[in-house]
Amino acid sequence: MRRRLLAVLTLAILLPSVSVLLAAGVGIFQHQRAIQTVARTYVQDLAESTASRVELGWGLTESLFSSKPPSRFWGNRLFSGGVGIPGWIAVLDSQGKVVISTPGAQILAELWRPQMPIGQAVEAKNAAGEAFTVAVYPAGSTGLFVMAAVSWKELLGPMLHFGLLLPILVALVGLAGLVGVYALWRWVISPLKTLEAEVSSLEWGKDLPEPRDDVAVAEIGRLREEFFHLAQTAIDRATLWKRYALDLVRVQEDERASLARELHDGPLQDVTAMIQRARLAARDDGESTGKSTHLGLLEESAQSAVREIRALCDELSPPWLELGLVGSLTELAERLSRHLDVKILVEADSGVGDALPKESILALFRVAQEALHNSVRHGGAGEISVRLFRDGASLVLELEDFGVGFDVPEDLARLRVLGHRGLANMEERMALVGGILKVESTPGVGTRIRARVPAE
Amino acid sequence: MGIRVFIADDHPMTRAGLVATLEREEDLEIVGEASDGVEAWRVIREKTPDVALVDIRMPGEDGVSLVRRIKESGLPVVSLMLTSYDAQQYVMASLRAGAKGYILKTASPDELARAIRTVAKGGIYLDAEVSRVVGGQEIVPEALSNREREVLILTSKGLSSKETAGRLFISERTVQTHLASVYDKLGARNKTEAMLLALKYGVMTLEELLE
Repeated sequence: MRRRLLAVLTLAILLPSVSVLLAAGVGIFQHQRAIQTVARTYVQDLAESTASRVELGWGLTESLFSSKPPSRFWGNRLFSGGVGIPGWIAVLDSQGKVVISTPGAQILAELWRPQMPIGQAVEAKNAAGEAFTVAVYPAGSTGLFVMAAVSWKELLGPMLHFGLLLPILVALVGLAGLVGVYALWRWVISPLKTLEAEVSSLEWGKDLPEPRDDVAVAEIGRLREEFFHLAQTAIDRATLWKRYALDLVRVQEDERASLARELHDGPLQDVTAMIQRARLAARDDGESTGKSTHLGLLEESAQSAVREIRALCDELSPPWLELGLVGSLTELAERLSRHLDVKILVEADSGVGDALPKESILALFRVAQEALHNSVRHGGAGEISVRLFRDGASLVLELEDFGVGFDVPEDLARLRVLGHRGLANMEERMALVGGILKVESTPGVGTRIRARVPAE
Repeated sequence: MGIRVFIADDHPMTRAGLVATLEREEDLEIVGEASDGVEAWRVIREKTPDVALVDIRMPGEDGVSLVRRIKESGLPVVSLMLTSYDAQQYVMASLRAGAKGYILKTASPDELARAIRTVAKGGIYLDAEVSRVVGGQEIVPEALSNREREVLILTSKGLSSKETAGRLFISERTVQTHLASVYDKLGARNKTEAMLLALKYGVMTLEELLE
């Protein structure tokens, strides 16, 4: 099953956020109701108990002072120092006029509504919008009313604050979750999707993706940069290969042209001369001296043709390769040392390389040929050592000169494109027979080339 | 009685030319021809010629192998390598296989006849063109010491300096020193030339090489 990252991540963030929001919402609602109930009961009890005390007190006062209004003494006794618990109490007459009250009870006048139900707590708000619970209770048959009120803020201060803070916190959490999902989408998932689309539609070695993504998170940005780098390398490689193939074709054509030229300038001229001499000899039938001269020249031309064709054969593919690796290398070394006037020492254990496949022999031979020419032509070496030896399961051909040396480039294949085919050719030759070419050179010291092929 | 000659060459024109050339020589008699190595071996066993002219490159079995086969069979047949290749390593390979001589196809009829007569008499014949490569002037070389001769023979058999050193219980460096001295005395520039010159001057015999 393919997991969709976006869906998983979104759900992982959204689900808890939503559940927290819902649970908190229910909690807040319940909390609100609880506060209401507590405030109502409280205010109702307060009003009721005060009313009963007022009724009792009123009766006493009436019996003592006939129908006089409640004395200061009574009032003082009832409300001295205010109520011990938060809230306000006032005794009103039937016109709603305050007879006596706890300190600060003028707030009650603000909360008074004419149609306020009797004996039942209700919520009211003052001019400042603060919440109160108010209850009005009749004080028995006195015709007075007790009005009690409590401020939510005072009664349930900290709880109320918390109750108000909680929804804000929950909202913030929910918001943070949404912002998180958005950020995840914008910085991670969207860039990833874009990158994925680019990767899948990219033609390797031909197209380049966008090099940078400044919106995405750093890791994805780096991933894209890496990807860009890879694509760039692929394009470089493709270009190199194309030029490489072109170069191979060009080399082949050059070689053909050169071969044709050599055949034309050499053997063809000789054979033409032979035909001419043969005709002249046939015509000079009677003249014996002329005839023998023509035949002598004919033979000379033929000898020249043989020499030229033999040289051409040696150059193209030396027949003496069939003599085995040691024989071929020895012949090569001796010929080159004669032609180039250098000292070439060949050291090979007897029988070494006898079991080698033909392809490997040819490859090693060509490597040696190229290396020896390079040593003399470019390295100016006067002495070259050629060693052929077994090394475990490999056969190693080692060529060492004491020429001028050179800086070995890292990528020999690139040399071909630059027109220096020798080393690239040697490396390819080795690779084709499962071998390895190692070139070590130090300017001013000399060059050592090791060609290693599997010997079994 | 003339020298009985056998010719093995895969090229019909060359063979015809050779036959025509050799038939002019009174002391030579062509006793058989073959166009490949396998047929050549059959004819040689049948006719037992005195001299077998063998081309290096032939279908079936190449010349060097054929020469080795003749040598190993113990037949009284002397092999003379006939080829268009002037590579000294062919000469080396032929001589190591047991051929008594090496002559190029471009050699003159006189040279060819001389070569056949030389090997038939038990001598060694190396083509003038190859010999010219080896060093034209006839000199009497300075005598080699016994050790130098031993080193030369082992080297000519195809042993490396290291192997020669091991065989003679001397150091590789000493082998190189001896060889350098041999080259110097014979006027050779390399192992091959040293061997060919040693054979040519009689410093070393073919038998020593084949031992």
